[in-house]
Amino acid sequence: MFEFLFKYSREDYARSELVFAGDWPQWLIYGLVVLFVVAALAGLYRHRGNSSAAQLATIGFLQVLMVAVIVIMLLQPTLTTERLRDGENTVALVLDNSESMAHGAAESRFVVARRNLEAAVVTDDTPNLTLRRYELGESSVAVESYLDTVPDSAATSVAESLLRILDEARFSPLAAVVLSSDGADTSGGLTADELDEIAAFGVPVHTIGVGRSAMPEDIELSDVTVPDRALPGSTISARVTVQHDAASSTRIKVYDGDDLLQLVPLELAGDVSSTTAWVDVEVGEAGPHELRFSVDGNAEEPELRNNTRATLVDVANQEYRILYFEGEPRWEYKFLRRAVAGDEDLGIATLLRVSPNKFYRQGIDSAEQLQDGFPATRDELFTYDALIVGSVEAASLSEEQQIMIRDFVSERGGSLLMLAGPSGLGNGGWGQSAIAGVLPARLPATTTDSFHRKKAGVTLTPQGADSQMLRFAAAGDENRDAWRELPQVADYQLVGSLKPAAVTLINAETDVGQVPLLITQPFGRGHTYILATGGTWRWQMSLPVEDLKHETFWRQLLRGLVASAPENVSLVATGNPGDTDLTLRAEFRDDAFNPVDDVAVTVVVSHDTGESFTVAMQPDSNEAGVFLGQITPPQSGTWYFEALAERDGEPIAVGRTSILHEAGQAEHFGFRSNSGLLQRLSEATGGQYFDTDDLSALPDLLRYSSSGITETEYRSVWDAPAFFFLLLLLKAGEWLLRRRWRSI
Amino acid sequence: MLKPARLAWIACVLSVVTASVWAQVGDAEAEPPARVVREAPGEFQFVRLAYSSNSYGRGGWGRRQMWQTDWPDAEHHFSRGVDRLTRVAVAEQGRILSPLDEEIFDYPWIYAVEVGYWSLNDQEASHMRDYLLRGGFLMVDDFHGTYEWSAFVASMERIFPDRPIVDIPENDAAFHVIYDLDQRIQIPSRMFIYSGQTFEKDGYTPHWRGIYDDEGRLMVAINFNMDIGDAWEHADWPDYPENMTALAYRFGINYLIYAMTH
Repeated sequence: MFEFLFKYSREDYARSELVFAGDWPQWLIYGLVVLFVVAALAGLYRHRGNSSAAQLATIGFLQVLMVAVIVIMLLQPTLTTERLRDGENTVALVLDNSESMAHGAAESRFVVARRNLEAAVVTDDTPNLTLRRYELGESSVAVESYLDTVPDSAATSVAESLLRILDEARFSPLAAVVLSSDGADTSGGLTADELDEIAAFGVPVHTIGVGRSAMPEDIELSDVTVPDRALPGSTISARVTVQHDAASSTRIKVYDGDDLLQLVPLELAGDVSSTTAWVDVEVGEAGPHELRFSVDGNAEEPELRNNTRATLVDVANQEYRILYFEGEPRWEYKFLRRAVAGDEDLGIATLLRVSPNKFYRQGIDSAEQLQDGFPATRDELFTYDALIVGSVEAASLSEEQQIMIRDFVSERGGSLLMLAGPSGLGNGGWGQSAIAGVLPARLPATTTDSFHRKKAGVTLTPQGADSQMLRFAAAGDENRDAWRELPQVADYQLVGSLKPAAVTLINAETDVGQVPLLITQPFGRGHTYILATGGTWRWQMSLPVEDLKHETFWRQLLRGLVASAPENVSLVATGNPGDTDLTLRAEFRDDAFNPVDDVAVTVVVSHDTGESFTVAMQPDSNEAGVFLGQITPPQSGTWYFEALAERDGEPIAVGRTSILHEAGQAEHFGFRSNSGLLQRLSEATGGQYFDTDDLSALPDLLRYSSSGITETEYRSVWDAPAFFFLLLLLKAGEWLLRRRWRSI
Repeated sequence: MLKPARLAWIACVLSVVTASVWAQVGDAEAEPPARVVREAPGEFQFVRLAYSSNSYGRGGWGRRQMWQTDWPDAEHHFSRGVDRLTRVAVAEQGRILSPLDEEIFDYPWIYAVEVGYWSLNDQEASHMRDYLLRGGFLMVDDFHGTYEWSAFVASMERIFPDRPIVDIPENDAAFHVIYDLDQRIQIPSRMFIYSGQTFEKDGYTPHWRGIYDDEGRLMVAINFNMDIGDAWEHADWPDYPENMTALAYRFGINYLIYAMTH
């Protein structure tokens, strides 16, 4: 109907500009308008005695409207549209030929994509365009035709491929890109920067999505996250994510070589597409451990290879150093020390003010350690991985020492744990100290006594239940119950309002209601914690001797504190399973954790088979002390890296790491159709996303592309039927009113 | 007829005995209540163990039990000393708990006096064993001689049948944690003022003994053949030697700080 009344489609109007093309002299039009209006007014004046003022106004309004329509028609409204000039433009056809395109039931995604791509573009309506064909996989490859193309690319990188195509066509009249793909990108998706870079070429990218976004018959082990390093004999908590599109039951198995370490049943709910579980794994003795995680598959699964992932955990002996500064003898101090006394990986040095003029040191390595009290230099303080501050006033430290503590968290990356106490937290003036900014709460002022020597129960928050540090039992409900059944803590302290980044892990059930008991937040490179009680010792004294919850709590909490503290030298190799390339990041800092830049860094890369080569690392322009590199491992297996920093040819620091690399696995994971990625790509570039069942609008879009070499098309609108219908309607209305009123 | 010299001698002995008994019994009007309500809670509260006594230690009508000896001045003086000399937050009042009281687990330091007369049954011994193994600390004091030692050991062996009682080594942290206590001087009761003797019964030699846990931490500090509690109690007594009181304070504070750090 719209096209019948206005001659052209809504899309035509949307992509065009409406102009008036009539070449009538303006004085003539204005003169005719004035003449007509005067004539109409004269006619109405002549009949003024027979009609009311309202009737005269109505007739006059209709006549003016009619004049307005006629004037518009005389001005000759015209649509002007930019369209591609025939024979002078190019369209890039891009066909995804990654392995995931081989999936499909009756027809593979690849077959559907190839057929639709050609058929949708080459139609009778398509202007005379030059077509260039590309395959899209790990990168892009230009081809003459798709007759020999097969879905065999081991990875999909949409951004890299498109950027290469667009860059090649930088100086040619590229009108549009048409991409037919399942959108299953294995390079990590499209970042905002990549989208901006693609859009900056000004070429619309139209996308045609193939495949299903939901595959109820498939279960995929989409992610396994484990700590890079662990202590011998410790238990790590692996975060396992399973993607699924239907409810079912499965089991998570964890192997170290051929040894089954863990088997956990897992229920997959039907109303979510992803289920995450925490699996506790005992890592055993020192050395690299290849942990293999798998979920049970079913017979109908189209891809069983995505049910298994392997990862490497470096189990190494290392004693972490913790400094505990306490302002008064108290039971929490004693029982905390006892709780971690048997943990050889945690070296806790304590500095306790036993009397106004005397400090008592325990857990020290030498007579000189802490001899002069709290560390006075960054070098001394930064040798520790975590710092515990107990019931002690902020004023007992100098401002320089307080600033050092702040830097300990933000620059050194250490963890700071503040404990409650009569002289701790708000009572101790820490809310007005130099470290107030790093704490996860805005502590009350010293004028308020926030410490209460009253017993309080404890409960885990949902975030606390997810935290590996707060595990008494593996299963969620069992763990929550264990916490609920804990004896009350001896005291609690109010911490004030929490900061936006703070997370509450434990709440206290007090006589004034529920208040935060353990809170944390990241700050700079490190983390800060507040444990708003000095009374967890009641757990030890109130529970049977053989109960180890108190010991477990403190060991896990302190291990959590130190585990996130970086060392002076760090080397990290990252890459998703199946990625072709691995990224290396080395960071060097001196004893005071100042970035070290004036060094040359090389990495020796070696494989189990003895193959090795050297990579020169480049300084990161964005971060001091950081050096970056990238390698393409020639084969799968465990790769070992040793980063060497040299100054004037002299080695000054060494960092080591290792990673398990599995080439050619990327396309087995995340192969569900990702139409969202394609839609974002089209929206960002001014293109349009299409499903395979409706491509009819694509040729029209190509014809009117704003990119490439265009010409302006003029199409008259004054003779649209709508104008004549409107004139007829106005005149007929006037005539009917005159007849009805019989007075004009 | 007794000669005047003999009469004088007898009178002197009687007065010493009377004074001794009076010292043990104390002021009859100061009979303690069964429980003392804590008024000003602190991190450390002096807790006195109200143990069951054997037949020799039971007081008669209107008489105090042996565990009450030196109460309440001993804890009052000692608590004030701890408050003055250390940074421990000390409660104003002491507290009295029996071995079977569940609240005992809220006080990881406890004092027992005249343990030569205690007599713990199996249930009480079991409770005390749990208390000590979980991290509690017991200081025992003011018992003397062969008989009282054997009576003490009888109940102590009910608590720990398999843990030996040993002399605390000179280099143990308990003797150095805040004060270096290198001298082993017998701290006498107030009777010393009258008799000139620092010992009681056949307890001529003082012993600082203890029982350790599996990690080598002192759980029970046994002050045998001495009377630290009397030295605390009579800190304000003009005739009691000031150096003995000072030494008793130091032993008590060291035990307390040790218990709060080990």
